[in-house]
Amino acid sequence: MLKKKSGLVTRRSLLKSSAAAGAALVSGVGGVSMFNVTGALAAMANPADVLAGINVGKYVKKEYREQYKLGDNDELWDPNKDWIRTVDWEAVRKEHAGKTVRFAIGAADRESAQDGIKPFLDLSGINVELVAIPDDSMYDKVVAEFLSGNASFDALQFFSPWLGDFAAQGFLKPLDEYAAKWKLPVDDFYDTYLMNYGHWGDKGLMGIPFDCDIQMVHIRPSIFKKVLGGDVDRVKSIPTYDEMIRLAPELNKAEKGVNAIGMMCGRGFWATYTWQHVAAQYGLELFNDKWEPIFNGDAGIKGLETIVALSKHAIEGVAAADWPTNRAAWLGGQVACNISWQDSGTQATRPDQSKIGDDVLTIYEPRVEGGRFAPPNIAGSTSCVTSTSPEPEAAFLMLAFLTSASIMAMNEANANGVAPGYKSVLTNEKLRSVSQPAKVWSEELDYAWCAPRLPNAFQMDQEIGFLINKVVVGEMQPKAALDEAAAKVRAIMEKSGFYKGADPVSYAAMAPGTWVGKDKKLPF
Amino acid sequence: MAGKPEKGIWLRKLVLVIWGLICFLPILFFATIALRPRNEIIAPEPIYFPTLTIETWAKIMDEWPLLSYFKNSVMAITGSVVICLVLGIPAAYALARYKFRGREDIGFYILSTKMMAPAAIAIPIFVLFGQFRILDTVWALMLVYAAMNLSIVVWIIRSYMLDIPLEIEDAARTDGASDLRILWSIIIPLCLPGIVTAAVIAAIFSMNEYLFTLIIASKNAYPLSVALANFSGGSDGIIYNAIALVSFMAFFPILLLVILIQNHLSRGLTMGAVKG
Amino acid sequence: MTDAALTANPAKRTLVRRSPFMRKAFPYVLLAPAVIYLLGITLYPGIYAIYRSLMTGKFKLEYVGLQNYRELVVDNAFWTSLSNTLLLGVATLFLEFVIALTLAALVYRDRWVKAWRILFLLPMLFMPSAVSFLWKLLFNDGRVISDLMTRAGFNLGNVDFMGSTFLARLVLVVTDVWQWTPFLFIIFVAALQGMDKEVEEAARLDGASWRKIFFNISLPMMRPVIAIALVLRGIDIITMFAPVHIITQGTPGGNTETLSYFIYRTAFKSFEQGYASAASVLLLIATVVLAQTLVRRFFKSGVE
Repeated sequence: MLKKKSGLVTRRSLLKSSAAAGAALVSGVGGVSMFNVTGALAAMANPADVLAGINVGKYVKKEYREQYKLGDNDELWDPNKDWIRTVDWEAVRKEHAGKTVRFAIGAADRESAQDGIKPFLDLSGINVELVAIPDDSMYDKVVAEFLSGNASFDALQFFSPWLGDFAAQGFLKPLDEYAAKWKLPVDDFYDTYLMNYGHWGDKGLMGIPFDCDIQMVHIRPSIFKKVLGGDVDRVKSIPTYDEMIRLAPELNKAEKGVNAIGMMCGRGFWATYTWQHVAAQYGLELFNDKWEPIFNGDAGIKGLETIVALSKHAIEGVAAADWPTNRAAWLGGQVACNISWQDSGTQATRPDQSKIGDDVLTIYEPRVEGGRFAPPNIAGSTSCVTSTSPEPEAAFLMLAFLTSASIMAMNEANANGVAPGYKSVLTNEKLRSVSQPAKVWSEELDYAWCAPRLPNAFQMDQEIGFLINKVVVGEMQPKAALDEAAAKVRAIMEKSGFYKGADPVSYAAMAPGTWVGKDKKLPF
Repeated sequence: MAGKPEKGIWLRKLVLVIWGLICFLPILFFATIALRPRNEIIAPEPIYFPTLTIETWAKIMDEWPLLSYFKNSVMAITGSVVICLVLGIPAAYALARYKFRGREDIGFYILSTKMMAPAAIAIPIFVLFGQFRILDTVWALMLVYAAMNLSIVVWIIRSYMLDIPLEIEDAARTDGASDLRILWSIIIPLCLPGIVTAAVIAAIFSMNEYLFTLIIASKNAYPLSVALANFSGGSDGIIYNAIALVSFMAFFPILLLVILIQNHLSRGLTMGAVKG
Repeated sequence: MTDAALTANPAKRTLVRRSPFMRKAFPYVLLAPAVIYLLGITLYPGIYAIYRSLMTGKFKLEYVGLQNYRELVVDNAFWTSLSNTLLLGVATLFLEFVIALTLAALVYRDRWVKAWRILFLLPMLFMPSAVSFLWKLLFNDGRVISDLMTRAGFNLGNVDFMGSTFLARLVLVVTDVWQWTPFLFIIFVAALQGMDKEVEEAARLDGASWRKIFFNISLPMMRPVIAIALVLRGIDIITMFAPVHIITQGTPGGNTETLSYFIYRTAFKSFEQGYASAASVLLLIATVVLAQTLVRRFFKSGVE
């Protein structure tokens, strides 16, 4: 369920190969003891050597290196923007070597994460202990820890819609001071991530964006060719959602066993995100400036009607499709056009994961009449430092390491679903050569739409999604469902403390993050 | 079965064969899933004759700690069975052999814990284990499994104890043996089949447990049942070949245990109420 | 056969005991560890669930009295999950009963009864989560059932099993029936085998057909066994969770959501533990009532 979108540096090859790298270095270094910092410092590896080992040759899966003819030292990132290569590790060691930070992780494989983080110990002298938390209880556990006033961890990584819950309660440590001191390249993040995964309204930088997702539309050129009669184009093949609906019946007939549309309409937040994706193009706003829900207006209804129209030609099982199910159908070659996260477009190109191989093209978000270009950036993960941490600065440094550009770029090269949110990475030509959607993706991010990270946002996503699922299966009409959803959302907002004269967060501070494409010229 | 040949014997056999196929073919299909490369599992049309290779296993084992899932299962189940037997045998003996006030109520209370819906106590158990900081440990699984199965173990063993003639005990007692001594050296050996049956049934139910396990276990304590859920939620999507492989890892040990007690199975499943 | 010892009275003859105190205290001492353990894991959660159901909030618990219950009784999703639980339960139990009894009747006189028994038992030996994934693959992801139906001449294309309430429920029922029919089957076969052979033989010599013998003699004699088996199976079905969690997640529109899944998702996906606890308490009360009325009748611990 949640796991996909809260994956730490996931268990696939990155951690495996970095384990080897880490182990090799550590064996020559020995442990760093808290009581013998100077001695340890003297014995520590040269940062340049450690950094040289964090490279494509060690981190990217062999078969992918061969597939894309990557050299061991190819740079999928800009070294000047790669924090681990710009920060002064000697200074870090001087201040923090010998400290220990505890990092709470959910879905990630604790053992391999432990290995993946080893080079950090070599570079900084900071020990990292991983606190594994059951995936299905990450939220509750974290809340319980926070409430005890004595959280057993210094840093945590979680599903970005929870940011509001934790930030509103003051559980998170603002990071602006550290970011400035250690020159975290915050400008390199796309605005949408900085505003929705990093900053929380006007309360400061609360997190470092981790898994920077965006939803996109992916098609299979071979099938579209049969229907369109000519070559496919990222801009013109599906210019509008109306065109997608028009093409759908033909796509359905184009090839045996292949359905026109794949999308996630499973109960709960999956359906909500698919609806938000389409409705955003119609100009969807979830709230007005008084924080009253207004998504049951025109844009919301049109978006939902579009989804209903698409679902008529969608793959069977669409009403139960969560991300894993949708992904299986798409990579198994059962659909011609898939509305999903960007990694569907990367993973499709990897033969060990996918049947469709090169037969994939990630296109520009289809437009709608009278709408706007607002590709939706929905629900990745972010990483934060707890306000109770005794070592917030060391915890910050660890997060900066894990999220730095080169490591994120290699995640993308490994197609493991953990996405970089850096301009310097997504515009890197080398990276684009191994990541099919990267070009469109990077251009779309300048226009991204995102739901505000309000307290209880995820619960609202769930409630809306239950009703949207009812519309998709024909149990309810769009208007009635969204009206009911709006009432539920309002009740949740009220419980979170809104409408009582002192909103937990001001609309004016959150509004700019919801759509960053205002007044911008289209990229094509 | 002497006498004239049965009428409709072929029809009867046909029904049995059809049901046998219904049972067996999905399992066979599942077995081929465990042997397929990932990209031959889901396709526009089902693939009935895929490339079968155990190379897939190496890949899965390389990426996932299957052996540690297996170890967690074995440890949690063994531990829970031990707890069940240590607590359950004396309780069963008391219910089978002594007359005392409240016996029926206590016996029924023990039985009724089997009726407790896991969902109904999931939240408190989660909070309780959180307070003791044993979430995501094999110990927590052990405790929950033991609690779930204690009632079954007590009732099964009690039923077997009731079969033992009183005369044997009387004789020992006249010889001056203490109650505990009688339990240990006469009753337990005599109802060993019952104890084994109870242990196996408890092991099966522990292996099957899903809801509690889902809430309690994370990476460290993943046993086989919930490791499956892990194969569908990660960034790799649904990894059916790993799911199938792990399913069979759990299936074969259970099959062996069940063959061991096959003649006691119905008695075990009905908590001693039906002899088979 | 029902265990004769269940109704027989083992305590008719009290064992020789050395001291009166010993005689009184000893059985309680033997029982105490088990009972205390079970109380810890049932009574405490029960009380905590009641306490939590009177509270609301995630970060600060706030006493709200019966507010959660008031919201629950007007929550359609709750009532849908309750009626689904009963509907799926009744349908599943009925099918399992009919199939198991038929198979048992066909198999218990067979020469290869042991082989049939092992074969029919196999589905039950997989974990429910495994079986759920298997049928998700067969019905939905892998399109196998649709494909086989097409090959068999029913040209329906790829059926959307998750799109209609009836079909989605059918998938859950099939999953459970496939896995758990053996449970009843094993018990029924044992009961039939334990039947007095002479009665049957005598009836047969009188010229009665197998069918008559089965319906007029065997079946009535099996009634207590059937009752116990159905009660035990029924309890498990009512707490059905894994197939819902893995296959449908309640789709379409919540029409396959069971009470267990409702509680789970409210508590662990929407993080409304107070609200979920209120549903838990109602479920607890239901199980206690059920246990007292139904189960108690069929299991007696052997006191006069």
